[in-house]
Amino acid sequence: MYNAPMITVRLPQKKKELEIPGPRRVMDLLAEAGVRPTTVIVTQGRKLLTKDHRVEDGETIDIISVVSGG
Amino acid sequence: MKCKRCRRAEAAVDLPSHHAAFCPDCFFLFFRRQVTEGIRKLRLLAPEDRVLVCVSGGKDSLVLWDVLMDEGYETEGLYIDLGIDGYSDRSKEKVLAYAASRGKTPIVIELAKEGIPIPEAARCVRMQECSVCGTVKRYFFNRVAAEGKFTVVATGHNLDDETARLLGNLLHWQRDHLARQHPLLPGAGGGLVRKVKPLWRVSEVETAAYGFLKGIDYVTEECPMSEDATSLVYKEALSRIEDRMPGTRIVFYKGFLDPSNPLRKGPEAAAPADAAPMPEDAPVPDAMRVTEVDAEEDVGTPRACASCGAPTYAETCSYCRLKERVRKARSLRAAKVSR
Repeated sequence: MYNAPMITVRLPQKKKELEIPGPRRVMDLLAEAGVRPTTVIVTQGRKLLTKDHRVEDGETIDIISVVSGG
Repeated sequence: MKCKRCRRAEAAVDLPSHHAAFCPDCFFLFFRRQVTEGIRKLRLLAPEDRVLVCVSGGKDSLVLWDVLMDEGYETEGLYIDLGIDGYSDRSKEKVLAYAASRGKTPIVIELAKEGIPIPEAARCVRMQECSVCGTVKRYFFNRVAAEGKFTVVATGHNLDDETARLLGNLLHWQRDHLARQHPLLPGAGGGLVRKVKPLWRVSEVETAAYGFLKGIDYVTEECPMSEDATSLVYKEALSRIEDRMPGTRIVFYKGFLDPSNPLRKGPEAAAPADAAPMPEDAPVPDAMRVTEVDAEEDVGTPRACASCGAPTYAETCSYCRLKERVRKARSLRAAKVSR
């Protein structure tokens, strides 16, 4: 059976990966992943994505947490 | 979305708190302006300063070093190897690689060689790792700066760090800490070097975006010792507010820094943390974990520590007292094992 490609959302610090059907805006993907926008940057390769950027099926994005503690 | 400044290139960074979005080139200009304005407004640095930049391998400190070098300040980096398995090696690697890319060799202090690696020292004295780490780092920041004839120590604390600390201090009514909290901790006689936080106007997202776009390879993993840090609870609360009401964080902090704010007395009241005595015995209360100053009788001019000569307001400095407690704990443990 053929599986339609989806958006791959990687959260490297949590060692987590999600498959979400697209197209979706970055802010919607963050909501889906349960991540608050003011705590992360979202990247695609060497590109930084704005929250209204539209991500298509078959693409991969990384959600990088920026919160440091201590 | 187009860049709000040049109106030509595609935006890469959106900043709701500034009602703005920037392409990479315009964001670099914006970010550097935020930092230089923060330095100018509070007179944190002078062009002739020799700056010791404390670098951990994380985004904030490496970005700070990068900006200060680009702005023409005379800087050297100081890396303190905390002796945390794996994490310290990976952090050091990032610092050395970044420094090499800028033709620099950082000063490295290895706490294992100094006989006080953080995880073991914290176990010995039964204190929170972050608290032990703060005492040890403050000691070496000042010692290296004084020995190396640096005029100022710079750390990468950003707006999120400072507002988290402010919220913690307010919630627990830490009036002494509130009076001293400031991006400028003045130096004092007796060898206490001035400390500054030039990133006080920029958020963690902005610092991370700057580091990413500049290709600075920083450690993204969190220090394993800070997993339960109370500062993270305050940061989470503030980020929830910031999500709903962008710009709240900077308004909160600028309002606090306003000289007319009766909660604080201005930088002249900021007692240098390096010389402040360490709290005794019991684990540090949660509220203290986001504060920098272990306040006691810290007025006037510090004197020399009876043991090491470092500036202190007590008989011996907090670092020497910590080392002594670690030494005693080790002796006790060794005696138990040999029985």
